[in-house]
Amino acid sequence: MSAAPPALPVFVPGDYKTDLKPVWCPGCGDFGVLTALYRAMAELQLTPELTAVVSGIGCSSRLPGYVETYGFNTVHGRALPLATGVAVSRPDVKVIAVGGDGDGLAIGGNHFMHSARRNLDVTYILMDNEIYGLTKGQVAPTTPTGDKTKTTHYGNPEPAVDPCELAISFGATWVGRAFSGDLKGTVELIVKALRHRGFAFLNVMSPCVTWRGDDQFKTLKAKARPLPAGHDVTSRFEAFKFTRETDVLSTGVLYDVKSPSLNDRLDTIKVTARAGAPLVTVPEIVKTFLPSF
Amino acid sequence: MSRRDLTIAMVGAGGDGIVTMGDILSQAGARNGLNVIKTEAYGPQIRGGESSCVVRLSPSAIYEQGDAVDVLVVFSWADFGRFKGEVQPAPNAVVLFDEADPVARTREDLGIGADGHWLAVPFSKLAGDAGAKGSKNVVGLGVLTALFGLAEETIRRAVVKRFGRKKAAVGELALKAYEAGLVHGGTLPPMPERGLTFTPGPAKLLMSGNEASAIGALHAGCRFFAGYPITPSTEILQFAEEWLPKMGGSVVQTEDELSAIGAVVGASFAGVKSMTATSGPGLSLMTEMLGLASMAEVPCVVVDVQRGGPSTGLPTKSEQSDLWQAVFAGHGDAPRVVIAASDVEDCFHTTVEAFNIAEEFQVPVIVLTDQSIGQRRETLDPTRLVHEVVDRAVPTAEDLVEYKRYRDTPDGYSPMSVPGQKGGIYQTNGLEHDEFGRPASMAHVHETMNAKRYRKLKPIRDKYQRARRYGPAKADLGIVCWGSSKGAVKEAVLMAEERGEKVAAFIPQMIFPFPVKALEEFLASVKRVLVIEISYAAQFYKYLRTFTTLPENTIIFKRSGGKNLTISEVDDQIRKFLSPDRKKGVA
Repeated sequence: MSAAPPALPVFVPGDYKTDLKPVWCPGCGDFGVLTALYRAMAELQLTPELTAVVSGIGCSSRLPGYVETYGFNTVHGRALPLATGVAVSRPDVKVIAVGGDGDGLAIGGNHFMHSARRNLDVTYILMDNEIYGLTKGQVAPTTPTGDKTKTTHYGNPEPAVDPCELAISFGATWVGRAFSGDLKGTVELIVKALRHRGFAFLNVMSPCVTWRGDDQFKTLKAKARPLPAGHDVTSRFEAFKFTRETDVLSTGVLYDVKSPSLNDRLDTIKVTARAGAPLVTVPEIVKTFLPSF
Repeated sequence: MSRRDLTIAMVGAGGDGIVTMGDILSQAGARNGLNVIKTEAYGPQIRGGESSCVVRLSPSAIYEQGDAVDVLVVFSWADFGRFKGEVQPAPNAVVLFDEADPVARTREDLGIGADGHWLAVPFSKLAGDAGAKGSKNVVGLGVLTALFGLAEETIRRAVVKRFGRKKAAVGELALKAYEAGLVHGGTLPPMPERGLTFTPGPAKLLMSGNEASAIGALHAGCRFFAGYPITPSTEILQFAEEWLPKMGGSVVQTEDELSAIGAVVGASFAGVKSMTATSGPGLSLMTEMLGLASMAEVPCVVVDVQRGGPSTGLPTKSEQSDLWQAVFAGHGDAPRVVIAASDVEDCFHTTVEAFNIAEEFQVPVIVLTDQSIGQRRETLDPTRLVHEVVDRAVPTAEDLVEYKRYRDTPDGYSPMSVPGQKGGIYQTNGLEHDEFGRPASMAHVHETMNAKRYRKLKPIRDKYQRARRYGPAKADLGIVCWGSSKGAVKEAVLMAEERGEKVAAFIPQMIFPFPVKALEEFLASVKRVLVIEISYAAQFYKYLRTFTTLPENTIIFKRSGGKNLTISEVDDQIRKFLSPDRKKGVA
């Protein structure tokens, strides 16, 4: 007796590609993220019509247009609010939010905090290039102190933030760091992030060749190295040891814990609210407004 | 003249139970099928502090809170002083005050004439004697029942229900206080001519405008609500949070209004009917997302319960000054729909209609209500809360062949697929886009797509020419107003009719796109036009002039909010221009 032939994959990475040509500059790190996303989606065999990719504004926020799923390139900083609506109202849809460092950490910073705190059922991929690319080269929350940009002629006077450190502090239950120049590593991390239940945050260092020069790619490549094998992903304390790094760029899963997601908790509320009764109807609600004495 | 209705105002300090007293009076009225309007006002304290409550009861239809108070109950004169100009007894009112109040007032202070009654009542003493020191309010209910022919047994049951729900003994003490009030009321000078005569009828619903808005949303099929607390709209969020899970829906209290409407647009994109509710400052924050909803053609509903502005303004008080914001706020050419609710029942209907329009035409719809109707409680006939529900058109198999999400159709709206629909996949954005949703910044595409989005307004205008008209077909004076002004204006028009004066009123429910034709017909049917609104800048008057010509001698009656439009204010305006006295040159 021969075993049944193994089921062939239904989707290959190319199936997730639209015919829209990316607007990104040649050499942009976001190409690596996009390719990695196609591969990760194929590895997980995500159903295109049951997947939604949502973004805000910025170079990287153009990404939903290039993915053959339901997609929404919204307004600056608001990817996560839109993703919240999709994820909560349609728990059957896999929701991926994407964007850049300005979009997610500056104008959208408040939403980042609260989406992480809620353990929203969303995978959030942040393409961090340490600069505002679409507006052509202004300082961003992740631009290193002292760097010259179009709005820091005398060097950036402000300290930068580490997005992973923020995500862990805000309550994200899965946090990883990738380098888009490492395609294999990025695919692996996107797969893990997509598999996580709850808010998964992946910061991908994604160089901007146009506004940060060739040096950024070279420097990141030289600094990138995997997290040590024995890293305890369940410990915030251990994870924080690999934040605010200057001389190295540690990639991998920094933090991974299990906790009920927002949808898990909302499901529990629905059960509690109904207390075993059938769904309530509007006439029944209206009746509670009749004086009963 | 027989008593058409009775308006009772109660004022006291925190802890005097003013709100409970008003609740019981209005619930008992609703139980007996009377028409009731109840309003409350508070001091700025978070908890405690002075409060006032006005309850109007009538066997016949009423449309606005009574502004000339027939009966005034004062537990504390010091607190009464804090509602200066807001609670105004009629010159012939019956004033009942606590004889133990250390502050003294005279009938002259309140302008109570010889035909009024000025009565010191031992509210505190009777409550203490009954063994329930804090039950002045229940004693008051007893006195009011005895004096004004209220339904004694119904109120007794309401008192037991209210106070006996946790401990039967507390209910018994409250009953003793009620009986003491009844007995004392019997010792006061009888005034049967002031009593309310009525035959009890079937019970009515007692509901606030905010509750009616929320119920309208649930009726329309809303299953996702995101909101951020803001006075005076918060009850809608609270109501949704309590009931939506029981209907299988979800609520998220977001971190701000930007996120609230963002989540609503996201959920609607995902195919679920969604809504948020806010007040002026919140609507300001939501403006950018209204532009996205307009551009990406995503249905969404926003209820704006207006309050006094700008900025923090008067958070607990009403104004009609978000009109321009609702219609015009935003960058770019962004079509949206604005509807105004005029009373509690209308909050239900306008919200359902907002969903119908949003879903059918894929536009953001703003419902303007305000604090005065959002937070007042009114009786409703339970059979009136019905309204047709329209659902979103989903693409057919034919539409899905080379599916164009933004197909340029004759009416401007195109079938919208939702996640889960195979073959309906599309990527959309806030960028200008082609029929497939792909970014396109060419001038001709922008022109075509702007035209497509604006074209939707025509079928909306045709289908929803919503406006109300009261009074004779031809009138000497024609009042044009909107939203919550309807109540006072309608009552004043009815009063003018009783006097034989020809006064008509035009009140649009649809604010944008405006029912211009109906307005112009109205203007042609009246000799003189009076525009009434609660906006210092006369937003409505100026708005009307953007699409029609008003006669040069149009009269404008406008003022700031903080106090609701009263029947007597409208009546004064009518009399000023139409009374025979004026014609004789006496006034």
